Amino acid sequence: MTFDMPTWPRLNRDARLGLALALPVVLIMGALVFGPLVSSLYDSFFRIEPMKPGSPFVGVKNYVTALTDPTVLAAWATTGVYVLLAVVIETGGGLAAALLLHKITIGRRWLLAAVVLPWCLPPVVNAIIWGWIFNPSYGLMNGLLQASGLTQGNQVWFNDRATGLVLISVVHAWRMMPLTVIILLAALQSIPKELYEAARLDGATAFQRLRQITLPLIAPGLAIALSQSTVFAINLFDEAWILNGASTDTRSITIQTYMASFQNLKLSLGMALSLLVMVASLAVSAVYVLRVYRETRFE
Amino acid sequence: MNRRAFLLTATALPLSFGFARLGHAATPLALLLPPWGTLTKDMTDKYTQDTGGTLNIETLGWDEIHTKIVTSMVANTAPATGTELDWSWVGQFGAAGWFDDLSALVPADVLADIPTAAIFTYDGKLLGVPYNNDFRVMIYNKAHLDAAGAAVPTTMDELLAAARAVKAKGASAYPIGLPLSASEGAATAWYLLTKAFGGDLFDKDFKPLFTTPDSAGFKAMQFEVDALKEGLIDPASTGLKDNAVQELFKAGKITFDLAGQAGILAVYTDPAKSTVAADAHAALVPNVSGKSRSFGLPEAVGMPVSAENKDQLATYLTWMLTPEVMVANYKTLGVLPTRLSVLAALGKDGSLREGEILAAQSAVAEPLFAQGTPGWYSEFSGAVQTALNAAAKGQIDVATAMTQIADAAAAAQQ
Repeated sequence: MTFDMPTWPRLNRDARLGLALALPVVLIMGALVFGPLVSSLYDSFFRIEPMKPGSPFVGVKNYVTALTDPTVLAAWATTGVYVLLAVVIETGGGLAAALLLHKITIGRRWLLAAVVLPWCLPPVVNAIIWGWIFNPSYGLMNGLLQASGLTQGNQVWFNDRATGLVLISVVHAWRMMPLTVIILLAALQSIPKELYEAARLDGATAFQRLRQITLPLIAPGLAIALSQSTVFAINLFDEAWILNGASTDTRSITIQTYMASFQNLKLSLGMALSLLVMVASLAVSAVYVLRVYRETRFE
Repeated sequence: MNRRAFLLTATALPLSFGFARLGHAATPLALLLPPWGTLTKDMTDKYTQDTGGTLNIETLGWDEIHTKIVTSMVANTAPATGTELDWSWVGQFGAAGWFDDLSALVPADVLADIPTAAIFTYDGKLLGVPYNNDFRVMIYNKAHLDAAGAAVPTTMDELLAAARAVKAKGASAYPIGLPLSASEGAATAWYLLTKAFGGDLFDKDFKPLFTTPDSAGFKAMQFEVDALKEGLIDPASTGLKDNAVQELFKAGKITFDLAGQAGILAVYTDPAKSTVAADAHAALVPNVSGKSRSFGLPEAVGMPVSAENKDQLATYLTWMLTPEVMVANYKTLGVLPTRLSVLAALGKDGSLREGEILAAQSAVAEPLFAQGTPGWYSEFSGAVQTALNAAAKGQIDVATAMTQIADAAAAAQQ
């Protein structure tokens, strides 16, 4: 009895080159992303707490905690508020700034450089600067409001949860909005001018041109901008941590994950929380991308 | 010389020099310490002069050091040969088995001179050698009290009366300095006030002792909330950490640093660092029983089990514990010596600011947990921080805060 050895299809030169070029990415992603992801997923079904002996299998207990514990649920809700506020501010403000920059022809590069500046700041530095601005005793914000007669006495901004959430979202959006601006500006610049000229000849108003031409044609860019805004807002950490510490008023899910993992040493709970955060990020991004893809299919 | 020979020589020469250097130069001792434990250049030079070794000190914030140790140890690597080990981490890191027993590295007579070493003993092992003898003491601005005609308070009622007098005279808008943010400094201040009101946090079985309105812990938090409402504590304190309160004291904005660090007096009384250097004085923590109480928050140097060059740490610890080095560190960094003999000598020659008060307060400074810091301290402390912060903001009342803390402590112990 004989066996035929399987024959592998012979790859041509282009295919071999393609594989060779893709190999580093596959290896890096495998080692740094997919490997740890699978490992974390596996470990999240065990109790991994260095302070306790052994690592018994606990099934979905960590996921149940991550979805039922009142403190964790509050952190999820807070993160939801951050996402909503940050995405609205970044998209609305980013679109307005991109449209303005698109109109400007003189000195656009300098304006763009100025707009991009906050994005270049490390998030910790950004939060510390805003912390000085919001400082109740010597902060610029209290000073300006009192000088203009709008408030009397020093306001302690983070004593009120709603105000704290808005301020942290604003600080985060201030840093991240430039990315939205760049993405949308690039999309705007790809729209043929002839379309606007034709619309003008047909008597379309500025709003109609925005609604009928601009928004549909920048939709793919908008999807990318929305996705990145959402993912970064879901992962919001530095601003909330530096401006208001571990306060439950403004504690995001990533802060909760950090505290569970590195302060309380409940590593497997932290892994479960991290994976749920990743799933939430992917799910929301997928909704944006699929929706925009459906609306911009022209075939 | 042809091209190939030239290239070979050019490559080999630097490499041979490099390997030669590696072979002869001693590896610097890697240390991971907070800013207040980081030696000055003069001191690191002195270490080289005294021992022939060199130091490579990485300075990180206190919170960040904890995170770095956790992430490194989970990955079975050591962040440094010697690291900061706070009293509050002993239960956690001891249970995890992450630190070596150092008792063999310190002579018994020296160890006997360091009473706070007991706080770093877990399961019979000495996990850290104390270098900073921190405990809490009240620090006040004498000029403010003089302006108000108030005496140095010894009871909690006298403290309130003095604060009201200072505020009435306008010497300070918010005389009492206490951090109320969701931070460790706010929690430790509440622990101190619990002792000031004559109580403890837990009984011998770790059952909470602070849940009823007549308990010391309850009264302590009520005191903080009431003083805040009365305008004796800055409303901004709900966002202030302990280091921010220290800045307020140095700027002359507050009269009392109620939960002052013993070593910070060296900074408060330094004209180069403080605007109230001449007016900063220490007093025993006020109380309700006639006997002042405090608790120790010492810091130590520990050695992770996976550390390299372990033998070098023995040299460093021996050097660190010499009276000469301890005195120099107190004078330059404000790090209070952990050896009683050194502390006494400092007091005797007049180098120790408010030496008598510090010695008296040190004598009544207890460990926060008589049974040793439990592994669940971090979760408990986190609950204290958030509940205290919420109570100070008026979001919950003190009774609810106490219930939340007790529930969190019970959950953490399971």
